Amino acid sequence: MADLGTFDYVWLGILAVFQGPEAFSLLGVSVSITVMMVAFGLILGIVVGATPGLGGVIAMAISLPILISIFGFNADALLPVMGFLIGVMKGSTVGGAVPAILFNTPGTPDAYMTTLDGYPMAQSGKARKALKISHFSSVTGDTFSDVVLIVCAPFLAILVEAHLDLPEKTALLILSLSFIAAVVGGSAAKGLLSCGLGLLAVYIGTGEDFYPRLSFGTAALSDGIPITAAVIGVLVIGAIFSELENLWAQKRQTGAIQVAKEEGDQRLHWADIRRIFPYIGRSALIGTTIGALPGVGSTLAATIGYATSKRLYTKTKKPGDPAFGQGAPEGIAATEAANSSVSGANLIPVLSLGIPGNTAAVFLILAAESIGGFNPGPAVFQFSSDLNPELVIAFGLFTTMILANLLNWTVGGVFMRSLGVLVRIPKQYLLPVVLLLTLASLYVQETSMSAIWFAFGFGILGYFMMRFAISPLPFVIGFILGGRIEDTARQAFSATGGDPWFLFKSPIAAMFMLCALAVIFVSLRKPKGDMP
Amino acid sequence: MRNLSASTALGLGCIAFALILAFIWIPLDVETWLVERKRGRYIVGDSLAPTLAAAFILLAGVMLWFERRSRDPRPTRQNLTFIGAISFFGLVGILLMRWSGPVVTSVFGAEEYRLLRDTAPWKYIGFVLGGSTMVFCIVSFVEQRVSWRAFWVALAAVVGIIALYDLPFDDVLLPPNGDV
Repeated sequence: MADLGTFDYVWLGILAVFQGPEAFSLLGVSVSITVMMVAFGLILGIVVGATPGLGGVIAMAISLPILISIFGFNADALLPVMGFLIGVMKGSTVGGAVPAILFNTPGTPDAYMTTLDGYPMAQSGKARKALKISHFSSVTGDTFSDVVLIVCAPFLAILVEAHLDLPEKTALLILSLSFIAAVVGGSAAKGLLSCGLGLLAVYIGTGEDFYPRLSFGTAALSDGIPITAAVIGVLVIGAIFSELENLWAQKRQTGAIQVAKEEGDQRLHWADIRRIFPYIGRSALIGTTIGALPGVGSTLAATIGYATSKRLYTKTKKPGDPAFGQGAPEGIAATEAANSSVSGANLIPVLSLGIPGNTAAVFLILAAESIGGFNPGPAVFQFSSDLNPELVIAFGLFTTMILANLLNWTVGGVFMRSLGVLVRIPKQYLLPVVLLLTLASLYVQETSMSAIWFAFGFGILGYFMMRFAISPLPFVIGFILGGRIEDTARQAFSATGGDPWFLFKSPIAAMFMLCALAVIFVSLRKPKGDMP
Repeated sequence: MRNLSASTALGLGCIAFALILAFIWIPLDVETWLVERKRGRYIVGDSLAPTLAAAFILLAGVMLWFERRSRDPRPTRQNLTFIGAISFFGLVGILLMRWSGPVVTSVFGAEEYRLLRDTAPWKYIGFVLGGSTMVFCIVSFVEQRVSWRAFWVALAAVVGIIALYDLPFDDVLLPPNGDV
């Protein structure tokens, strides 16, 4: 094979998506399985996003074992499975706005700010227009964020691989953990606790000694805690318990759902787009910048995007225009562009550093680990003249993201606007079924009853964490990164000849460690609220 | 003690747990120390990483004492009642899932359950009984009434999951058939 250059890898990635195994042929044009899976993922994502109580995370948790059962454990499975997950991620962000606008019930937490202007617009008979604005802003923000990801991730990875040795990489992982602990949720102390518990959980039953550590000599703990059981337990089952409790507390006092009748012009005109575009641009920049930091979620981006746009709007609004919070289309645009532009940028740390920045990235890493053949991190972006299959997969993933955006632009909006009916599914029936489906999916993947016990137990832990306003995300990220921190530290310690100060010897590593401490102590000085 | 806030109590609990972890659990339940000398070279022992986790929890406990906060969230009696009930339904459901198949087979089956775990109808007994019990109990508890609708939803859910996993895939086993 001839020596490969950068553009050869880009082209191979595109071909891997479009010329992979054929799913079916449409008018003589072959449609690959990966393209079909991206489309399925997007549709499922929009559906779960539009269903209050569900969301992208639950859909990914349930889909992953099914997808692995279908595609098996080989490298050919990577793009269809990860493409599907990317579709779900993008679709759920768009779909979350549907119940927020139509029924004042955010389908996903980051769509909360959308209710502020979306619901008043729907009440004044402009529901369809509000949905169109939401869709346009969301997909524009998402596309912008993906472009930034595709441009930045390879450069960041190359920089890291060129300049960071083992001690620096260990320090960078510690910095990431402390940053996530400090910024996710409202309290650095609680973030640190969540992270510490995640680290402790991953170290049980693992290690290099013959005796599996911290296992009390029991068979159940000696193989360690399955990563899927811990992640799904704390994130998904804990959230299901919490949501069920809200319903239990309401004692079914929600009543019938009222839908406003549509009135007036529902079309999205060029003048409307011109009017909302400055708000979309501003929020997309804010969301992408915030999203590139590991652990900073779309809810924060939506809040900052909304608040910043509100200031701009107050100065420029004409007399007679609705204010923010009273049905201003600019409010929907600002929120949706900000929360959607987080999703692409959130993948910058996972693809360039191997550090998952959000829950969607956690499931991409789970998929990569389960299937094998792709280890997200700086080593992926080695543009070697001999074929680097991981780099082809990385460019294949970028292609699936662009494809998902194209589908979102074309059919996503139409599909999204037809889903208002989903909010009528009673959550008290839906959630227990989703709980059973999640446990069954977990068993299918792990084939062990202990995984079900672990997941249920971690679900209870996740529930209590939420009741103490402790975010479960640092737990999950601590669990995922714990093994890598230990391995890198072992290698760095050996490579430096057993130097106990190896984390402080090189200026870069020392700077990372100081930043890790500074992040925690600076965050201590701020008054704390609850987790988002 | 009456004025002890939830965060302070949580902080105390974290400090106590971290100290027990670092000075009792890790030394007694891990084979090697923080650093070991092997063939003349120092290497990281298996205790170091869990000790780092203990340090995170200890630091979190100390910080909870000093952190300024506007609210003091804690689980209420209502929360404990809810999670207690849900845990009970989960426990019953999972136990039924695990044991009802083997028990029914031992009474009515010609062979032991392990040999019948991929044979209908035996292979469905545990999942149908355990899964539907779990869904039915949780729905009834949340609705605070027992209804036929909850029963049919529970049954439809298990049938749907069987149709999703068991019918299309030959190599997929529903709980508990993969490890009985």
